[in-house]
Formats: sequence, C-alpha cells, structure tokens
Amino acid sequence: MKKYILALGLLLFCGVLAWPPAGAAEIPDVEEIVDRANRVAYYAGEDFRASVRMVISDAQGRTRERQLIMLRRDVNDGGEQQFYLYFEKPADVRKMVFMVHKFLDRDDDRWLYLPALDLVKRIAGSDKRTSFVGSHFVYEDVSGRGIAEDNHELVEVTDSHFILKNTPKDPDNVEFSSYTMWIDRENFMPVKAEYYDKQDRKYRLMEALEVRSIQGHPTVVKSRASDLAGGGETVTEFNDIRYDLGLADSIFTERYLRRPPREVR
Amino acid sequence: MTPGNRIIQFSISKPRLITATMVLATVILGALMVNVHVDTDPENMLSRDEAVRIFHNQIKKEFTLYDMVVLGVVNEKNPNGVFNVETLARVAELTDFAETLSWPDPEDPDKIIGVVRRDIIAPGNVDDIRQAGPGQVRFEWLMPEPPATQEEALEIRDQAMANPMLKGTLVSEDGRALGLYLPITHKDLAHRIQKQLKEKIAGFSGEEEYHITGLPVAEDTFGVEMFVQMAVSAPLSMLAIFLLMLFFFRKLSLIISPMIIAMVSVICTMGLLIGTGNTVHIMSSMIPIFLMPVAVVDSIHILSEFHDQYQKTGDRRLTLEHVMAQLFRPMLYTSLTSAAGFASLALTPIPPVRVFGIFVAFGILLAWLLTITFIPAFIMMLQKESLASLGGRVKGGSSFLSRHLRWLGRVTISQAKPIIALSLAALVVAGYGISRIQINDNPVNWFAPNHPIRVADRVLNSHFGGTYEAFLVLEAVDEQETAVDAAQLLKQSISGLKPSTARQQEINAEAIGDVDRQAPLSATPDELFAALEEKWEKQLDMSSSDQGYDLWSNMLDVLETVRGRKQIFKQPALLSYMEGLQEHLLTTGIAGKSNSVVDIVKKVHQELYEGREEQFRVPDTAAGVAQSLISYQNSHKPDDLFHFVTPDYRKANIWVQLKSGDNKDMEEVVQAVEEYFIQQPPPIPVSHNWAGLTYLNVVWQDKMVSGMLKAFMGSFAVVFLMMTMLFRSPLWGIIAMVPLTLTIALIYGLVGLTGKDYDMPIAVLSALTLGLAVDFAIHFLQRSRMAYDKTGSWREAAKIMFEEPARAISRNVIVIAVGFTPLLAAPLLTYKTVGFFLAAIMAISGLATMIIIPALITLLEPRMFPRRTL
Repeated sequence: MKKYILALGLLLFCGVLAWPPAGAAEIPDVEEIVDRANRVAYYAGEDFRASVRMVISDAQGRTRERQLIMLRRDVNDGGEQQFYLYFEKPADVRKMVFMVHKFLDRDDDRWLYLPALDLVKRIAGSDKRTSFVGSHFVYEDVSGRGIAEDNHELVEVTDSHFILKNTPKDPDNVEFSSYTMWIDRENFMPVKAEYYDKQDRKYRLMEALEVRSIQGHPTVVKSRASDLAGGGETVTEFNDIRYDLGLADSIFTERYLRRPPREVR
Repeated sequence: MTPGNRIIQFSISKPRLITATMVLATVILGALMVNVHVDTDPENMLSRDEAVRIFHNQIKKEFTLYDMVVLGVVNEKNPNGVFNVETLARVAELTDFAETLSWPDPEDPDKIIGVVRRDIIAPGNVDDIRQAGPGQVRFEWLMPEPPATQEEALEIRDQAMANPMLKGTLVSEDGRALGLYLPITHKDLAHRIQKQLKEKIAGFSGEEEYHITGLPVAEDTFGVEMFVQMAVSAPLSMLAIFLLMLFFFRKLSLIISPMIIAMVSVICTMGLLIGTGNTVHIMSSMIPIFLMPVAVVDSIHILSEFHDQYQKTGDRRLTLEHVMAQLFRPMLYTSLTSAAGFASLALTPIPPVRVFGIFVAFGILLAWLLTITFIPAFIMMLQKESLASLGGRVKGGSSFLSRHLRWLGRVTISQAKPIIALSLAALVVAGYGISRIQINDNPVNWFAPNHPIRVADRVLNSHFGGTYEAFLVLEAVDEQETAVDAAQLLKQSISGLKPSTARQQEINAEAIGDVDRQAPLSATPDELFAALEEKWEKQLDMSSSDQGYDLWSNMLDVLETVRGRKQIFKQPALLSYMEGLQEHLLTTGIAGKSNSVVDIVKKVHQELYEGREEQFRVPDTAAGVAQSLISYQNSHKPDDLFHFVTPDYRKANIWVQLKSGDNKDMEEVVQAVEEYFIQQPPPIPVSHNWAGLTYLNVVWQDKMVSGMLKAFMGSFAVVFLMMTMLFRSPLWGIIAMVPLTLTIALIYGLVGLTGKDYDMPIAVLSALTLGLAVDFAIHFLQRSRMAYDKTGSWREAAKIMFEEPARAISRNVIVIAVGFTPLLAAPLLTYKTVGFFLAAIMAISGLATMIIIPALITLLEPRMFPRRTL
C-alpha cells in the first residue's frame, strides 16, 4: 500500500512540474505561428548548401536512390527564393540540373537541364503537387507551400506542439482536402504533417526524423514522406550542410545549367 | 438368395426404417450446406501451385497490376462524340463516384478493398505531358476539371489523341468513346462495383450509352447469375420431369418417389461437398443439373417395369421381387459405369473438375442405393388402394408408343444390314465433324449474345484497342560476369576515349591503373564499380582545373555506361527491338494496342523537343533514356512507370490489349510473339513469358482438353472391361459400347460441324455421355439375354424386347430429354449447351440402343448365343 501512495505522490509531483506548460501564457496568433514556421523551415540563413540523399522505397520494399547537391538563396526573407539542384546519382542522370525561381505572386520558373540530350527545358511551374523526381516528396515539400494558399486553424496546443489544421483555399488545385501540421513550440519547426484525401482518409505523412542546430539554425537533417494508401516512402538525408556561403545571384541562371558552378563540386 | 433379393427383402419388410434413415441423412448433410463458400474465379481452374499462376500473381505484384473493370462511355449522337461539355461532365462525375467505391476489408479493417483509386485510368486521373507555351513542358492532368466550353472539350480530345498511352486505351480513335479503367483489388468485387456503377448511371439523362465489361466483370457476374440460374433451372427441370412422368404413369403417389430420390441425392451430395470444405465453383454448381437425370433414370426403369407388371400379379411384393430380379444387375452396372465415367474426371489436372467428377460419381452411387432401397420401401408404404388402378388404363398393347416400338423392332430385324451401313456412314460424317472441332473458350461468351456484358464487349472492342488484357513480360537473362570480365570491358572503353591532350593521356592511364589494381580485390563486378566510383569521384572533387574535372567526369560516364549495361531496359537497342515487337503484335489484328516503357520514353522525348513528330523516338543513348524517364517521374503519378518496368530495369511488361478474349485468339498472339523472337532474336538476351487473365484461360483450357481426353480414354477402357465382365463375353462388351461410341462421335461431330466451340461445358459433357449412353445398352442387352433364354430365338426374343423394355428406354429418353428443355431458356449459354446436349445424348443413345443393337444381334446371333444355335 505504501508503495502505491509513493507512486501516486511521485506522479502528482511530476504533474505539477509539467503544469502549466512552458510559455502557455503567450500562445501566438495562428497566422504568426504559420509565418514563423515557414521562415524556420524554408528561409533559414541567407543561403544554404547541402548534399542530399534520397532513398525511395516502394510498397514492395524495392529501393532507388537519388543524390544531389542543393543550393538555395533567398532573394528576400519569407519571399522570393532561388534553388539549384545538381544531380550526382543515379549515375545515368549525373550532371542533370533542376533550377527553380520561386515567387509568391506568380507561378515559379523552373528549368531542367538534361545532359544526355544536351537540352535545357523550361517546366511549367503552375502545379506544385507533382512528384519531385519520382520520390514521395512533391515540389511544394522542397520549396515550401505558399502560406497564403491555405486557411489555417489552430486546433490544439500540446506541451510541445502547436497543431494546425490547414484547408486549401482552392481545393480543386490540390489532391488533399486538408492537412494537419505539428509545429514544435520551442523553435517553430514543422515536424509532422498528415494529409487527408477528399474522402477524408489519411493517405500521406511527412515527418522530420531528425532536427539539428547548424550554425544556430534548427535544421531538418532527416525527413520522411510516406504514402499511407499505396505503401512506400522516401527518406531524405541532408549532409555537409552550410548556411550563409554568400552564393552569387549569377549561379541561379541558365548559364550555369550546362556548366555547374564550383559551389556544387 | 442374390444380394439384390436380400436388399429388396429388407426394404419390403422395413420400409419405415429405410425412410427414416434417408430423411435423417438428408437433414444432416443438408444442414452442412449453410457453410457454402462460393468461388466463381475461373483462375481456380488451375491449382494454386501451378507455375503459370504463380508467375501471373508475381507479375501482378511486381508491376502493381490489377484486374480491371472497364466502363465505356459512348456518344454516337453528338458530332464531337464524347468530347462535349455535357458528356465530359458526366465522365468526371462517374470518375469521382468510382473513386468512392472502396471499403474497409471486413476481414482486416485496416485494409481497403475495392477500386484502387490511384491507378484509375480516367481523364481526370491520368497525367499528360504537353507543351505549355514556347519551350515549356508541363505535366498536367488530362482533365483537371470538366471543360466549360466546347473548345476546351476539343482541346482535351486533341491532347489525348496525341498521347500514345491514352489513344486507343482511354479514348477511342474515332472520338466517340471514352474508357474508364477501374482497377480492383479483388476480382470477386467486380459484380458489386458494376452494380453500383449501374445505379449511378441510371440517374443520368443524356445521349450517352454506358457499357461495363472486362474479364473480372464477366467472370464475377457469371458466378452470380450461375447461382440464380441454378435456383431457377434445376427446379424447372424437376417440374418438367415430374409432369412427364405423371403423363406416363398417371399415378401421382408413385412418381413422387423418383423426385424424392433426385432431391435427396442432390442435397446429400452438395451437403457432403460443402461439408468437406470444398468451395462451390462454376463446375460444382452444375452437379445438380448433371445428377438429376442420372438419379431418376433407374427409378424410371423400376417404375416402368412395376407399372407394366403390377396388373399381371396384383401383388406389390411379388411384383417388386420380379422387378428387382430383372433389374438389379443392369441397374448396378449402369450406376457403376456412370460413376466410373465421372470418377475418371479425377484424373484431370484441374482441381474443380476433379471435385466435380468425384462428387457426381458419389451422387450416382448414392442415387443407386436409394433407388434399390427406397423405391421398394416407398411402394410398400403406399395405400394398397392407391395402386389399384395402376397401369390399368394404359393398355400396353395399343398406345402410340407401343405400336411404334413394335414396328421399330420388326424393322431392326428385317433391315439389319442397311441399319449397320447407315450407322457406319454416320460415324464417318461424325469423324469429319470431329476433325473440324475448334477448341476455344471465352468467359464472356458464356453469356447469351444479347446479354449486356456481351453487348458491352462488342461495342467497346469496336471502339478501343481491346478490353482484354494480357501481359508480355520480358526479363534479362542472367549472365555470369566476373570482376575480371568487367575490368576488361572497362579498360576497352577507356582505351576507346581518344586522348587529344597529354593530360587526358595521363588520366586515362591512371584510370586503367585503378581498374587493374581494383579488379583482383573485387569479388563481383558491382564491387569493382563501386570502388572505382568512389575513387574517381574523389579525383573529380580534388580536380583543381576545369580540364581535370571534365576528364574525370568523362571517366565516370564511361564507368556508368559499362555498369548501366545491366539495366537492359534503358538500352536503346532493346527498346527499339520492343518497339518492333509491339508493331508486330498489331499485325495479328487481335491485339488492338499495346503499351510499354518504350511508348513512355518516346512520348516524353517528343515533348522535350517541342512535340515535334520526328522526335517521337527512342533516344540514342541509355542516359538519354534515363533522363527522359526521370523527367517523366516529375508527374503526379511517377510510379505509373513501374507498371511497365521494374526499378532495376531488368524486367519489362508489355500491356497487350486484345479485342477478343477467345482463347484461340490469345493463342494466335502468343504464336505471333514466338515467331517474332525466332525470326529476330533480341539484341540483348531476354526471356519472354505471358501473364494476365486472358492468357491464364488459355493455359487451363489446354490442360482441360488434354486432361479430358485422357480421362475419357481411361474411362472408356474401364467401362468396356466392366461390360465384358457383366456379360462375361468380349463380344457382348463390344456391342454394349456401340451406342455409346456412336453417341459420342455424333455429339462431338455435331459440335465440329456446327462450328460450336469446344469449351468447358462441352468437354465435361463427354463424361456425362459416357455415363448415360451406356445405360440403355446395358438394360437392353441384359434383358435381351433373359428374353433369349426364355424363347430360344432372337426373332421371338425381340418381340418381348420391344414391349416393356423398349418402352422403359423410350420413357427414359423422353423424360430426361424433355425434362431439361427449360435449360434452353437460360440466359447463360453454358446451361443452354448442357440442356441441348443432354437431350441429344439421350435421344441418340436411346435410338442407337434400340436400332443398332437389335440389328447387330440379328447379324451376329450365332456368335452371340452360341449354345442355342448349335
């Protein structure tokens, strides 16, 4: 009997420690959460370089690999951005380059350089819900979904997370009916998102598997996108991450598609 | 006392015990029927461990392929066909609706069964790659939302027509039809899905027609209708048999007994079948239909004899003893031969046919046991008065049937030679017919021509490349390659790089040195490649000059080219070969279309070059193919690629669309592929194999035909031996086989002459023919021998034979032949076929027995009755 009382006491004690949750007094406005999360996830630093390795597994457990060098440069914080993705693997797409100029007020500009065909191709940027080179990530996962495209609702605040429900303003343009997002209260990093289809069935899951602080920026170094309906997932790892390299504007131009800049070597 | 006599004495003295036992057995076995498990999947015609079936399922899994329900929307009235605002709006609505047709699996609620949403082929769910302004390509749903204007509708048409993956599959070339392909997780959901689609469509008004087809629909619908059919046809047949017996015997109380025997045999057999854990398959569902005629035949013999004899004695017991003395042996033997005929099906390699054969055989023996025990018991239990008028009114001497039979008896004796000559001529004609038999089956053709499924099949296959699918799978043949071989190849390729500068010469030499050093350290080529890649990538990173960077980069390209050879379905030479193969398939006229990774590569390549027609081709290099394919994977459904090729690019699937599901057509396509591979060997060795429901049907048909032939030959021999034993004379044995042989020859000759396909039901009928056709001969010969013993001459014996024995045979023929005519009205052709052939078997074998056997006896009298003629 004594043991139980002790256990109960301990439990109560712990409960008191955890209550009230840290910073519960000041829960920011939902738009502010969204805005901060967006900056933390996609706009850390002035620019960014990483070696990215993707392992795509299908429902049968067969895997494929993609390896690429990613350069990002923010034209203005929270706004226009530039991406330069240089492919190293699979070997038969080596030197392939994918470049994006991201805009908030109009469709992105996207270029694809195919070295084997010696062809620079513009890819229409209107639909960002297409797969990123066959992985379970879509373009929007890589470059960020415009925060103005959804209505946001703070559905729950836990000890550690803000839980937001996001409903698209233009549901015809996307394949989901809503997605629920978990945002770390500490650093405003989105760490999980669950997508629901038009029949309101959960079909897609995105997770930050590992977050590390690099040059003072919380950074997702490992993430996963899972297809809950069909099976299969893609795990992405970021290595050799560097912020604020001082990437030149000129790198993100057509000129560098055929001839990769030093920064990716 | 003979065994027959002992049984009859027991039945006569203990009628109630017999009846009670029978009722109890029926109730117990009948109760087992509640566990019924229906299996309508023709795939189960092959056993689970059959190689082709394992391969089929492996391919389905490997390429994520599903069985498809095909929903065709046809608009013949609008000048633009289906490409108008209204029709496309309905198509979009239907697609949305189809997407909802999935449910949690009742057995495993975490799993979703039904329509596989992501793999639906519909305008709103397929990706199209198209030009989006100058120099831009775009991956876009073909129809993200229904068009608002006619121009937009036509634009959708033009886009679809320009996409070889869609034209002929999603849209018909004439623009009048659109096909929605709904992949389903389980074939046995096809009927449910079809029903719900139909309900949805019923709510539409408009000028479109809707058709639903696809093998799973045909197969599943057949299963459902089959059971309805059983519930309708079997009782109708019973009723017809009942009415005819009433007509012949005019004694309601008497003729109830054969009905009871038929019912009890069917219930006990089906109960046992279900109780022993067997599923009720398409084949076993036909057991009642096959069992009923056999079950009543013996009873009719008894009743016929009893009916004719009763008036002479006026005593049940005496009459029964007389009847059973006459009939016990022939009934035993007819039952044994019938059972043997069906039991022989156990030799076929097809599980459902085996089950069918064994249980029908069981049912026949059960019916025999019931006949010899229950019929006497039943007669004993009747009120004596109710038998008083029996046979009285039907004067054997004057009825229409009797007069003609007597006339027939005289003819067989006077015209014996012409009869034999005529029979031989018939045999020759039958032989010609048999030589023309066409072995073919198609589950869709199991439905009557005006059945909605047949109509849908005709309409949709006239518009599209074909609604029947088969998968031609090409696979790399493994070649053993050592690290040394790979090193050799690498060095050759590096030497092929003509050095133009000293630096290049240096790097080439260094690379060759690396290869030489690494090769002995590597166990496999893959290890060698990996080691070199790591090394050279380091070189690349360390290059301070652009020149060094470029040169090492080229070296990595060389490495990749050598390594990439294993990914054979990125090699342009093999893709071009497949292109040729696909073109060759079209020349058969049966394969209306085929889709493969080649079509994807060509289409993407074309769009990368502004949609220029001359760029609709396979790129020149493997890297060009790889980069076209990775571009393709930037779509909404990148995994669509892996319906056609495995991620290791070692196996490819050509989805062949056939306009016909006829096995003979599938066989022709298979043949065309074989020829192509012989005439033009592939540039890289690959194996080729078929999968897909349409192909599976061919495989089990082949097994069925050869298996049936073997089973038939075996049981023919067994029956002949039994006849020889029964009559203790090979000559009598041979004569007993004559009507049966002629019947089978004529039946199958007829099949050949009329051009009717030799399909599953027809094949199974051979067993039934064997069982039924020999019955009459046994009765006739056994009784002839008895009559001869009595009279001492065939001329006199024949007179006896064409009285009661001939009447019994005739009654049997008529009852069963006419009794199964309700089957002719069935909407399922298999049932029609069975009905028609049952009637034909009875008529031919009955006539052959009563005409040819007496003619033969007339000619062979001295040899057949040697002692008497001495």
